[in-house]
Amino acid sequence: MRYFAKQQGQKEAAPVDLEPLGNDQYKITVNGTTYQVDALELEHGTLSMLVDGESYNVEFEENGDELGVLLRGQVNRIDVADERRLRLRAANAAFSVEGKQLVTAPMPGKVVKVLVKVGDEVKEGQGLVVVEAMKMENELKSPKAGKVTELFAKEGTAVENNAKLVVVE
Amino acid sequence: MPKIRKVLVANRGEIAIRVMRTCKELGIATVAVYSEADRSALHVRTADQAIFVGPPPSRESYLVQQRILDAAKQAGADAIHPGYGFLSENASFVRACDAAGLTFIGPPASAMDSMGEKTRARANMIKAGVPVVPGTTEPVASVEEARAYVEKIGLPVMLKAAGGGGGKGMRKVERMEDFESSWRSAKSAALNAFGNDAVYIEKYLEKPHHVEIQVFADQYGNTIHLNERECSAQRRHQKVVEETPSPILSPELRAKMGEVAVKAAKAVNYVGAGTVEFLVDVHRNFYFLEMNTRLQVEHPVTEWVTGLDLVAMQIRAAEGEKLGLTEAPRPNGHSIEVRVYAEDPSRNFMPSPGKITYLRVPGGPNVRDDSGVFPGYTVPNVYDPMISKLSVWAPTRREAIARTQRALSEYVVKGITTNIRYLRAILANPEFIEGDYDTSFLTRQHDALLGAEDPKLSEMALLASVVHTYQKDQKRLKTLPAATGGQGNGGVSPWKLALRTRR
Repeated sequence: MRYFAKQQGQKEAAPVDLEPLGNDQYKITVNGTTYQVDALELEHGTLSMLVDGESYNVEFEENGDELGVLLRGQVNRIDVADERRLRLRAANAAFSVEGKQLVTAPMPGKVVKVLVKVGDEVKEGQGLVVVEAMKMENELKSPKAGKVTELFAKEGTAVENNAKLVVVE
Repeated sequence: MPKIRKVLVANRGEIAIRVMRTCKELGIATVAVYSEADRSALHVRTADQAIFVGPPPSRESYLVQQRILDAAKQAGADAIHPGYGFLSENASFVRACDAAGLTFIGPPASAMDSMGEKTRARANMIKAGVPVVPGTTEPVASVEEARAYVEKIGLPVMLKAAGGGGGKGMRKVERMEDFESSWRSAKSAALNAFGNDAVYIEKYLEKPHHVEIQVFADQYGNTIHLNERECSAQRRHQKVVEETPSPILSPELRAKMGEVAVKAAKAVNYVGAGTVEFLVDVHRNFYFLEMNTRLQVEHPVTEWVTGLDLVAMQIRAAEGEKLGLTEAPRPNGHSIEVRVYAEDPSRNFMPSPGKITYLRVPGGPNVRDDSGVFPGYTVPNVYDPMISKLSVWAPTRREAIARTQRALSEYVVKGITTNIRYLRAILANPEFIEGDYDTSFLTRQHDALLGAEDPKLSEMALLASVVHTYQKDQKRLKTLPAATGGQGNGGVSPWKLALRTRR
């Protein structure tokens, strides 16, 4: 089974091949290295993973398409998709910074400022919308250079986590 | 003065619970106040009584003096503890409490007035002979006057809001050509944040340490200090890690700073718990920065090394009891506190409110977690993001660092993102371990602290994420109804199954 996994901050997803061997055993190949993995799922979704005799206690938290993976005090944010989902999401522009990009609210809050209009040309990293949460103002930036084609954010309105705010094409 | 029987805690979150805990131990009844966003908060359940005070924004609930006073009256409370933030340093609220016959557990309004506005505090301290950072004692009227002053004391300087606090509205100016624009932006920030655009100027000290002294006074003029706290690990002028003793203070410097802090408190007839904040420069000269006329967030580290309960002392002082101590207790061992915030350091510290789906709090010897959260609690997005204070005690600084790391490794919070990994990176940073870190430490080490990722763990996380996704897909397939072509029966369609049974 082939998956594509993208660590936060990386632009490209890496192919990861997983072969279930039964009895909680897996053969996983990533970046040219093959691992024998013993991965036992425990209650509450915790994963006890043994790789080359090393033990990892792994906790997950899901946030939209992104998976927060906590092990040994380190949190990695990883986006995983199989080929079918990858194709679907490429169409929705969620997996790569190519094509249409949807900027969503990263947390529930209030839109305090909308910095762009439909039709505006924006640069990569340019502020699009300011959302206030927990007494902090957070400027959401454009993931790419392009044109604002859709605008859902309205000043003064409350937004939920993952609410659609702006589309940049 | 009569004994206090019932205290209304005019606050929320961990500090409300902290105060209530001591009240309970002293046999004092407690009253909570809560906004619409806080009906399910822990402080409401911890109290004996709880009174609703209004909508989620604090300016419509926790900050409305009359609502708090009415709540106290309704509950029959005889005293109010303000915690920190909200109304804790509001002199008009103290006067309103006095007028309503309620004991305010904190300093008198006159002491708050003297220390509240920073320029007035500076003037008072200069009069009392306390060293202050070179700068103006009055808000500066015009940009020309400001520029002339800066030319006299030299760059860099800090522009600060006279009515400010919490690092808001501060601007550092390093080049004369930036002066005018910084001046304008400091004034508009001050107006926005505090409704007062008065700005004053202070000389900017290079690589200063932020060291503060805890003071305590009774109503009879007996004033002592309870040693220092090193608070130089700051981000955007907000403290992230605090410790005591300060790794840069000698016993002589401690005694000298303590003496000056006591002088500062006496100069304004202080009563109760207060903190005198200083900047210590590279030559170990120290300068008065400001006085916080309340209990501080970081009070647990002082409690660990002195063995005192500062809230109990506040209550006794408010009741008119005499201070039992005549001098600062010698610091016993070492204590570190880290602030756990609902925020995501990897995304520019973006706040992360939401439901806590799973929580495992650290324990073990000499570990204390002051928190207001629990599994299933939804961290609201209208209040500040601090959800817990983890503090530890150990005989030495090295052991305290190791213990904090151990405790943080046990801390699991799911559902929201926290800064726990960032805190661990701070404690593992060589500069922090060395103990000589100044107020620019977190800014300077920003990339190192955020990039402190073990590549092997990242690879393992990748494997785990793929296994997790695979297992989830398998579960989903199993639960799909067989008729839709799912694998509820091992991937076999009902038609084929029917055929097989016939055979």
